[in-house]
Amino acid sequence: MDSEDDMHDANDVEEFYSSDDYDDDDDDDDVVVESDNDDYAYDNDSDDASGKLTSIRHQKNYTVLKEEDIRQRQEDDIARISAVLSIPRVSACMLLRQYKWSVNNVHEAWFSDEDRVRKAVGLVEERAVESQNDKELTCEICFESYPVDKINSASCGHPYCCTCWAAYISTSINDGPGCLTLRCPVPSCDAAVSQDMINTLVSSEDREKYYRYLLRSYIEDNRKTKWCPAPGCDCAVEFDVGSGSHDVSCLCSYSFCWNCTEEAHRPVDCETVSKWILKNTAESENMNWILANSKPCPKCKRPIEKNQGCMHMTCTPPCKFEFCWLCLGVWSEHGERTGGFYACNRYEAAKQEGAYDESEKRREMAKNSLERYTHYYERWATNQSSRQKALADLHQMQNVHLEKLSEKHKIPESQLKFVVEAWSQIVECRRVLKWTYAYGFYLPEHDNTKRQFFEYLQGEAEANLERLHQCAEKELQNYLGDGTSEDFNSFRTKLAGLTSVTRNYFENLRVAMQRVGKRARPKYEDQVKARRIQAVEFVIIALISGKWDEWV
Amino acid sequence: MRIYRRPNHFLQNVQVVAVGSSYLVQSAAYKMQASRARLFKEYKEVQREKSADPDIQLVCDDSNIFKWTALIKGPSETPYEAGVFQLAFSVPEQYPLQPPQVRFLTKIFHPNVHFKTGEICLDILKNAWSPAWTLQSVCRAIIALMAHPEPDSPLNCDSGNLLRSGDIRGFQSMARMYTNLAAMPKKG
Ligand SMILES: [Zn+2]
Ligand SMILES: [Zn+2]
Ligand SMILES: [Zn+2]
Ligand SMILES: [Zn+2]
Ligand SMILES: [Zn+2]
Ligand SMILES: [Zn+2]
Repeated sequence: MDSEDDMHDANDVEEFYSSDDYDDDDDDDDVVVESDNDDYAYDNDSDDASGKLTSIRHQKNYTVLKEEDIRQRQEDDIARISAVLSIPRVSACMLLRQYKWSVNNVHEAWFSDEDRVRKAVGLVEERAVESQNDKELTCEICFESYPVDKINSASCGHPYCCTCWAAYISTSINDGPGCLTLRCPVPSCDAAVSQDMINTLVSSEDREKYYRYLLRSYIEDNRKTKWCPAPGCDCAVEFDVGSGSHDVSCLCSYSFCWNCTEEAHRPVDCETVSKWILKNTAESENMNWILANSKPCPKCKRPIEKNQGCMHMTCTPPCKFEFCWLCLGVWSEHGERTGGFYACNRYEAAKQEGAYDESEKRREMAKNSLERYTHYYERWATNQSSRQKALADLHQMQNVHLEKLSEKHKIPESQLKFVVEAWSQIVECRRVLKWTYAYGFYLPEHDNTKRQFFEYLQGEAEANLERLHQCAEKELQNYLGDGTSEDFNSFRTKLAGLTSVTRNYFENLRVAMQRVGKRARPKYEDQVKARRIQAVEFVIIALISGKWDEWV
Repeated sequence: MRIYRRPNHFLQNVQVVAVGSSYLVQSAAYKMQASRARLFKEYKEVQREKSADPDIQLVCDDSNIFKWTALIKGPSETPYEAGVFQLAFSVPEQYPLQPPQVRFLTKIFHPNVHFKTGEICLDILKNAWSPAWTLQSVCRAIIALMAHPEPDSPLNCDSGNLLRSGDIRGFQSMARMYTNLAAMPKKG
């Protein structure tokens, strides 16, 4: 079996590209590579040395918290405050809530003016219910008299009957998160209603609501945490505020920008994205027709539904016309044969493509701003749905096809990683490409040099992505079916090569976009971060290679 | 990526005391009969202490314990002095967990009272309500509001603007005029 050699081939390609001139950016993390594990969960639990190395290399500036993690952290913080200040945990919880769950702020405030803090939070001194020897007490809400054991009170000692307490607390819980700061019913009394009372007095349903609010408060009141915006996801993300890229990736595989909570949009900035999204909402009424998932075949006019990720469409038999989904141009003029890049990537070029049907009308409309927007929107949306499809394909690959492939070609799954890598690269590149269209839309129209350079790089990146996507989507089918498997190794070389070439083109695009945006040297803290990671790596390598003593 | 997978002790740490006794009731079941009972208690209290607060006269509707009216005396040393103002109470079924709705039936020129509808802007009738308040204490709070208007949350903009621009005399003469026009007990 000579698969080892082929792996080398693939790596060689990668090495060749990663050492070329483009890679002179001081940025320590190769963004596109890093994102490999953005869209599917790597096995981070592996204990082998390389596993440790990768996790250091891709050190994240954020932590994804599952619901139980959140509870655990909340519980830990409460326990910490409770121990340090020697107060009951329910009081610690109220304190933390008051200070937006910042342990430091609680400490600071408490030790500078304990009385003031106590008053603000409602931790008044314990006072027993006043009662004159077994005499009944009157509840000041229902005005009934009760024996002392049917009376309850907050730490202030103001007596109310348990029924009224239950109704009072329940009303507050059903009014919303304000129940977390509920006070004694006496208008002038600051005493807080503690968790102990909530646990003993209200129904389990209301209690659950209360603890849901308490959990939400831990995330929503905290400056460093936010909920994952994906629908149905219960995770939260803790972010090291002030550190590098805002893109985070949740356990549910949704990637989003921590800063603006839109879908991850690196390398495009938040401002462009929010402008673009606002524009989309405003234009959405005009855009409905674009969202329709079918277009007429340019040859036979039958509607064709796009169900594959790449732009190469083939009409159903008997027509079998091959064309490009975006510009509806003949596919043969898109390929490498013509030596050119995909003409449909560029707006300028699209204008000239008017040689096809209804060209005159289209060219006229191109002057219209809506048409211009449509051009960008269509490509933005197409890449979005392509990405969705690729994501589904990636999961299908990991869960079904990989095993099949391994059996059929007698290759261990560990050596089929290149297929997964290819698909991950496609998913990530579709995402980046999508946002480059929002970026392109806002590039100043008069700045031709900048625009042409950007569109040139975008076109190159897109062309390579199309080749990669086509190879992964169509050519791989041959090896899954009953066809011959003799040239599987050359397929491997091709796919791995395309993956790394595409990665490099997108990296160039990213670097160019960021240069245009800033035209500045990498930020100081980025440099510091790079140094720090290098140092950590050195220590790890020294330790695992047993050369610590020798080197240090 | 660090992923916490520690078990969840949080809810287990919470000491949940089994509550079998009768006080754990749904607030829905509580409200109707409880509000009636409470209003009846307030009614008896009002009857018993009729002369305790000479400035307030609370009257319950003959056929509906959820409808009340009150006559309150304008506080002294204010433009409302010597006036008698009528208030209408509409008590919700969730009372006293929810506040009663109160409005002036007598026209009054006051920054926190709507000149046309008599609606009152007072925090304890909204978010600062506490079940420890009674209809009687609400009346007292309204009298206090008459003596100390809050021009920053005006329902009557004209009156609020007069006060905020510092035109105390202008405000007082307007308020005085409306007190004379609408709130003076008819003699004879
Ligand atoms: Zn009671
Ligand atoms: Zn109290
Ligand atoms: Zn999520
Ligand atoms: Zn953003
Ligand atoms: Zn066709
Ligand atoms: Zn095309």
